[in-house]
Amino acid sequence: MFKKTIIESTGKSPWLFHINAGSCNGCDIEIVSVLTPRYDAERVGFKLVGSPRHADIAVVSGPVTKQSLPRVLRTLEQIPEPRCIVTCGSCPQSGNVFRDSYSVCGPLSKYVHVDVDIAGCTPKPEAIMDGLLLAAQILAEKKKTGNQEATLPNPYAPEKTAEEAKPAEEKTEEKGEA
Amino acid sequence: MSVILNALVDLGYILIFPGFLFCFLCGMLLCGIERKIVARMQKRVGPPILQPLYDFFKLCGKETIVPTVANKTVYLAAPIVGLAALVVIQLFIPVFNFTAFAGNADIIVVLYLLLIPALAEIFGAAATGSPFAGVGLSREMVTIISCELPLVLVFLAVGKAVGNAIGSGVVFSLQTIAAYQAENGCLLFKASMIPAAIAFLLTIPGETGMHPFDAAEAETEICEGMLAEYSGKPLAVYKLSHAVKLLTLTSLFVALFLGGLGTGILLVDGLITFFFCVVVIICVVALIDASTARLKIEQLFKYYWTVVSGLAAISLILAWFGL
Ligand code: SF4
Repeated sequence: MFKKTIIESTGKSPWLFHINAGSCNGCDIEIVSVLTPRYDAERVGFKLVGSPRHADIAVVSGPVTKQSLPRVLRTLEQIPEPRCIVTCGSCPQSGNVFRDSYSVCGPLSKYVHVDVDIAGCTPKPEAIMDGLLLAAQILAEKKKTGNQEATLPNPYAPEKTAEEAKPAEEKTEEKGEA
Repeated sequence: MSVILNALVDLGYILIFPGFLFCFLCGMLLCGIERKIVARMQKRVGPPILQPLYDFFKLCGKETIVPTVANKTVYLAAPIVGLAALVVIQLFIPVFNFTAFAGNADIIVVLYLLLIPALAEIFGAAATGSPFAGVGLSREMVTIISCELPLVLVFLAVGKAVGNAIGSGVVFSLQTIAAYQAENGCLLFKASMIPAAIAFLLTIPGETGMHPFDAAEAETEICEGMLAEYSGKPLAVYKLSHAVKLLTLTSLFVALFLGGLGTGILLVDGLITFFFCVVVIICVVALIDASTARLKIEQLFKYYWTVVSGLAAISLILAWFGL
């Protein structure tokens, strides 16, 4: 009984923790704008918290500089499971304009499992909102399956042929036995 | 047989009404209403009223991390002790003419029990060994000291006013105060008690750590202060006890100043009390929360010991002269 409530609640109350990994501050301002009266992320339960131990979703912005890398990784480790990691802006995904700089060690996905990428420089608040909602769904999925790398089925994926679909089926069967 | 029956009834009081279950549901509802009203005041849609419940259940499902340097027993026991103290207070607060456990000096018991949640939080925070918690707990201590003086003065003023009327010194029994109000109308409508009522209303945000008195939990500067290291279930219990504290303080206000309204049917009285709690939350806590920014800790201290204590002292002096 409580298990179902907990899974449902997990998707409904995702708390955000924002990590700045050398961002130019453009993305940070847009993240804050998501919480303003115009977009009001709190209506779906989002809340900006001050400590990584309280967070469910980590929003990373910036190209992950050499200086910030160990700190970012340590902060991400401190978030209790289930957790989602969201990259905000193009910087943590590709390096963006800072790419190939001597002081940049991105992309972030080289080091940790990233759940959602929000592209753009800076992404629009609507896009951030969309990404965060997706992260909240993934969070509930992770709680349900207990798998820390769980993803949602991709709605835009090309339809699989019968042969391609087969291995996936086998995999689920194996899981059931285990 | 009757011993067993009595024990069962007491257990019912403790677990269901006005104990744990009542505190849980009403506290969460009050907290949700408060958040919604604040959002509406800021022209936002706001979270659903049940949001605190979702938060609570979500936190229950999260991993609980215990810092390696922490004292595990104190770290895990602190939130539970705090919550238990709040539930016990609720048992002493009369709902019209019904009190689960009454005594001759329950105001004093309530006054001491009100300290325990804050103290438990301080102990828990100290056990984590985090520097943020250290800053938070020193601020929390100042907040407790600031709120304590006006609270004592308000209790004395109310006790003296009722004591004068029934001719017996200072009254320290919440039940006597409730019974007096049932006969003679609410104390809130007595001119000499109005400053005390305002003083009590102003201590509610301080005691519950709402804006502008939330220096101890300032999430933007000291990472939520004392809660910085907590996660998972202990954090859920803390969030619950913060919500219950809202209920405790508002229902204490209702018992002290609006106690005379009721029908004698327990369920209806409970609903009336809860309705007044909601009114207090909307008119005072949410309004102050939405319209102010955080005070510095020494400003907070000064404010409580001059303005709020002054108001309470005026009431006490008026009551002493029998007005
Ligand atoms: S994506 Fe653009 S706006 Fe965001 S941090 Fe990078 S450069 Fe700045």
